Amino acid sequence: MAQKSVWSDNRFWRRSATWVTGVASVLLIWLTFDTMGQISMGTDADLKNGVTKRVPAPTVINYKVDYVFDSRRGHEVPKIGPEKEKFFGKFWSEEEAAALLHKGKLASQAKNCMDCHTLLGNGAYFAPDLTKAWLDPAWQDGGTMQAMTGKNSKEEAMVAFLMNPDQYPTHERMMPNLGITHDEAVALVAFLKHMASIDTNGFPRNFGRMQGAVHGK
Amino acid sequence: MFEPFVDVNPSFFGWLNQGPLTLTIFLHTLVVLPMIFIYYQEKKRLENEK
Amino acid sequence: MANNALTGVGSESKQLATWYFTFAAIIFGAQLVFGVVAAIQFVEPSFLYGVLDFSIARILHINALVVWMVFAMFGSVYWLLPDETGIETVGIKIGKLLFWIFAAAIVVVVLVYLFIQVGPADDTTIWFITEGREYIEAPRWADLGIVVVALGFVANLFFTGMKGNRSGIVTVLMADMIAFSGLYLCGMFFTDNISMDQYWWWWVIHLWVEATWEVFVGSLAAYALITIIGAHRKVVEMWLWIEVAMLFGSGILGLGHHYFWIGTPEYWWEIGALFSALEPLPLVAMFIHVLYDWGKTQGEQMGAEHTDEDHVKSVITNKPAFTWITLNAFGNFLGAGIWGFFHTLPQVNLYTHGTQFTAAHGHLAFFGAYATILIGMMYLAIQGTNGIKVMNHTKASIWGVSLITSGVVGMTVALTIAGYSQVLVARAQMGGTWQAYFDGQAGMWFQQAMDWRLVMGVVTLLGFVFLAKDLLTSGKSPVHER
Repeated sequence: MAQKSVWSDNRFWRRSATWVTGVASVLLIWLTFDTMGQISMGTDADLKNGVTKRVPAPTVINYKVDYVFDSRRGHEVPKIGPEKEKFFGKFWSEEEAAALLHKGKLASQAKNCMDCHTLLGNGAYFAPDLTKAWLDPAWQDGGTMQAMTGKNSKEEAMVAFLMNPDQYPTHERMMPNLGITHDEAVALVAFLKHMASIDTNGFPRNFGRMQGAVHGK
Repeated sequence: MFEPFVDVNPSFFGWLNQGPLTLTIFLHTLVVLPMIFIYYQEKKRLENEK
Repeated sequence: MANNALTGVGSESKQLATWYFTFAAIIFGAQLVFGVVAAIQFVEPSFLYGVLDFSIARILHINALVVWMVFAMFGSVYWLLPDETGIETVGIKIGKLLFWIFAAAIVVVVLVYLFIQVGPADDTTIWFITEGREYIEAPRWADLGIVVVALGFVANLFFTGMKGNRSGIVTVLMADMIAFSGLYLCGMFFTDNISMDQYWWWWVIHLWVEATWEVFVGSLAAYALITIIGAHRKVVEMWLWIEVAMLFGSGILGLGHHYFWIGTPEYWWEIGALFSALEPLPLVAMFIHVLYDWGKTQGEQMGAEHTDEDHVKSVITNKPAFTWITLNAFGNFLGAGIWGFFHTLPQVNLYTHGTQFTAAHGHLAFFGAYATILIGMMYLAIQGTNGIKVMNHTKASIWGVSLITSGVVGMTVALTIAGYSQVLVARAQMGGTWQAYFDGQAGMWFQQAMDWRLVMGVVTLLGFVFLAKDLLTSGKSPVHER
């Protein structure tokens, strides 16, 4: 009788399965430790000293945030500062900013934002992606959304919209009124500004730059 | 031979990521290659059993 | 071995399994109803606006999906344990108690979703109303309950496996279920850092559906092949180990394809791209496995009976179950494998991430990989509890499987087309702003696709009605051999 092949031997496959699973798990845990270090939130000192972090400190709301092409990395990256900018008319201390972001993140979950919108591209596809919503041209001075709310700053316009989205229909598909209070709306705007400052490896690409090419604005 | 590092933070895995495929080949090697060792061990066992 | 499902009469474990299957089927129906509501809202946004908004319909749609599958998975384990271990499940009383706790908790969670919907931005909302994280929105009290229930279930599986005959299938299930339960813990904490949040959130979602659940399906397919067509255990278990090696080998680090754009380092591009590119391979293997074993046992049958192809008796002892399991082999490969590979490379995913492409993949993959085989297990349970020797198709079972399958495939095609429009217009051309999003949604391709998605969703729901009727009545039908 012919020699039994190792390829049809259950023990060989069982041992291989165990090895492969074990090593893949160990590698994933190792990679996770590495990634944790890189995506933990930066500090206020990092921002002051111009140290780039993938996820900056909550006090990033005190800085001007932009999204510009980096030719070395080959895609757009967030540009934080060095210019400072007031957020709701003031600069926020470390504690205030942290508390605000905490509330904003809680609000984003308590209102189920992710079940219509996408955050960092994850969520539902019923409403626009919010990853870089803070930088969206529609909310800037002269933008359609800011004009519709009649406010004269991006933050105030976003708050007005979040509190009464059904009063500012932009599309047949309207955001419902979720009972968002003024404080929650302010916190949500901070959450959005913070999210826009996260380095997402160039997602979304060409954000807000392409406005209809030749015939565009 | 070594590419300049472009990601935000330097790290071991970032350094291994030297261009197309280097990192993934490294990881796949760790995951798959030892199966050769298991193969020969099992082959020997089957021969001994005979 | 071929008839071991017949031991269903009198086994308490199998009785408990039928409870799980019954509850799962009800929740499955709820999933489809809320799915249709959400589909209508894409076409006619004013539908139930302010009453049952899209976000709530969708939460119910996807949570019902997860819950019915987990129930059917628990049921499947309780069903196959006595056959595989040769003994009654240890701690069956606790199993029954946990069933009622689990079911009651689900009902409360659903009522809260339906009638309270959202809460203020503080910890009470996270504890009692919603955690607001896609797929695992269940509030924290329910999380803790689920952990208790899962621990009880895993303990039952372990003690039964250790006391009885521990087959290869049971060994795989034991390892798999402990990972499945443990991973849920990664989705329970709160952090202000959205990148960190999503990093761990994917540990639950990805490592469930692209690793532990897939291995679970491999085990079920192995059990089903032994039970339905009398495939050889040794061959089946060899395939199972190969599948485990390939699924975990590609799936665990394939997690990287969710880490392209959430703030995580660039090296994930390469890890995610190439490991997840291999993820379809085990699915091909599973597909080949099912068809190969079928041909093999059928061929042996012909050899044994010394007869030609036209007169030989089919080796399939449960036609509806086998239909669903063959669909599983095909649907898993097509939905999870092909549709997943479509957008798994970062250069493609940059533009498809967060579009209807993902929804298309999600629909076909969840259906193909999980719904099919779990429905197949329900049919095995009907056969077992009714003492049926050869279970045949009824009219309702054929209508059910045909309508559900065409409905889901139809939705998938429609969503894929909607995805094209979204990717090309909103993303590639206009860069993904608020305006870009709505310009993409206004495209004719998108809008027509959404109409078709709704039509196909209704077809699926109609198919479910036939399926439900069949699940309820087929046991007594005269078409079966007893």
